[in-house]
Amino acid sequence: MGAKANTDELLAVLMSREVRDWETSACGAVSMIPAAAMLLAEVTVAPNAEIIILGSEKLDRNLGKDIHFLSQRGKLDLFFHSAVQFDAEGNFNLHVIGDPNAPERRLPGGYGSGLMSYTAKRILFFRTEHTPRTFVEKVDFISGAGKTPPEIKRPQEPFKIFTTAAVLRFDRGPGCYSLESVHEGYTAQQVQSLTGFSLGDISNVPQTVMPTDEELRLLRTEVRDRMIETGTYPEWARTVLQPA
Amino acid sequence: MGVPYIPVRGLAGTDVFKRRDDMIIAPNPFDPTEETVVALAQNPDVAILHALRADRDGNALLRKHGEDVMIAQASRRVIVTAEEIVDKVTADDEGGEYISAINVTAVVHAPGGAHPSGVPGLYEMDEEHIREYIKASQSDEAFQAYLNRYVLGKSEAEYQSMVRAAPVLGDG
Repeated sequence: MGAKANTDELLAVLMSREVRDWETSACGAVSMIPAAAMLLAEVTVAPNAEIIILGSEKLDRNLGKDIHFLSQRGKLDLFFHSAVQFDAEGNFNLHVIGDPNAPERRLPGGYGSGLMSYTAKRILFFRTEHTPRTFVEKVDFISGAGKTPPEIKRPQEPFKIFTTAAVLRFDRGPGCYSLESVHEGYTAQQVQSLTGFSLGDISNVPQTVMPTDEELRLLRTEVRDRMIETGTYPEWARTVLQPA
Repeated sequence: MGVPYIPVRGLAGTDVFKRRDDMIIAPNPFDPTEETVVALAQNPDVAILHALRADRDGNALLRKHGEDVMIAQASRRVIVTAEEIVDKVTADDEGGEYISAINVTAVVHAPGGAHPSGVPGLYEMDEEHIREYIKASQSDEAFQAYLNRYVLGKSEAEYQSMVRAAPVLGDG
């Protein structure tokens, strides 16, 4: 493994391995990293995947707002989601930072996060940092709840969070986090210290399998070209998917 | 749709739900083991929607991929502002989503009327102006100053000449 991935490439490669063949996977608008992840999966692990990239000229499947109803009908197997805060209860925030009545920053989560994260079968979150300001004891605003009563019917699959330091996993049954793997350059203890809540037992956490040379090569050639050809964040693909 | 409420999957346990009184959690009347959020129908008294084109009867082409047609159908009165007034708008016209005159109360010829938002193919969103607006909306004083500058006592022509250096395209 000679080549070194930048942050966006790292997350794209790790998430590409989660895309399953023959399933329907999607990401929302302004989601460059998941777009690259799905296109990489198409040339690696999931050649028959159905992929939907909102915000792409040619790969948005002309869905637009109907993605919500596709998901509500139970037809969406995997959805990539962003958030700025996560808390110990499995809640995430994509609405506001600070006091909701006088926010420091407003974010786009009001649009669909409270629906997509309850209806898509599996959710993968991603965050281009791993810091105590992201992983907090309690989120400033609950855009999506980690746990809901059994009367609220929703898929019960665990969700994962991909960061620059590790992969976290939240199991809705017991309602707790675990550390699935830690990236090269980090120890489980370091990741725990960067996380504002307990990650449970961290005595036997495997190392993340970092991007292979072949995955990076495909990302920087075939995926990059395809993003440019299909009007899928071409500027991002040109500038980000390349050696440092 | 004309229904009093609609079930929504999602939102349970979120702070969105807590901050609104037009959504509650209710049992599914057909399945006692299930509960969902139900949202009260939204029926605005007046909707003002910007169209690509409209005719004098009120048939119009509204924004594609948006909720404009649904908003028009939900509202008691609908005012359509249009870039262009043409002889006839039909359901076969391309470039926008057709709405029948039956849903429209009044039509106004307002070229450039989407500003500071944009109209695809005609003009872009005026990001600088939107930034100015957001900044002004941070306090009552700043917002009052914004209204005094751009809105109160100003005609549409005065507003357009203030905010636009270049002439508006597509003036019918």
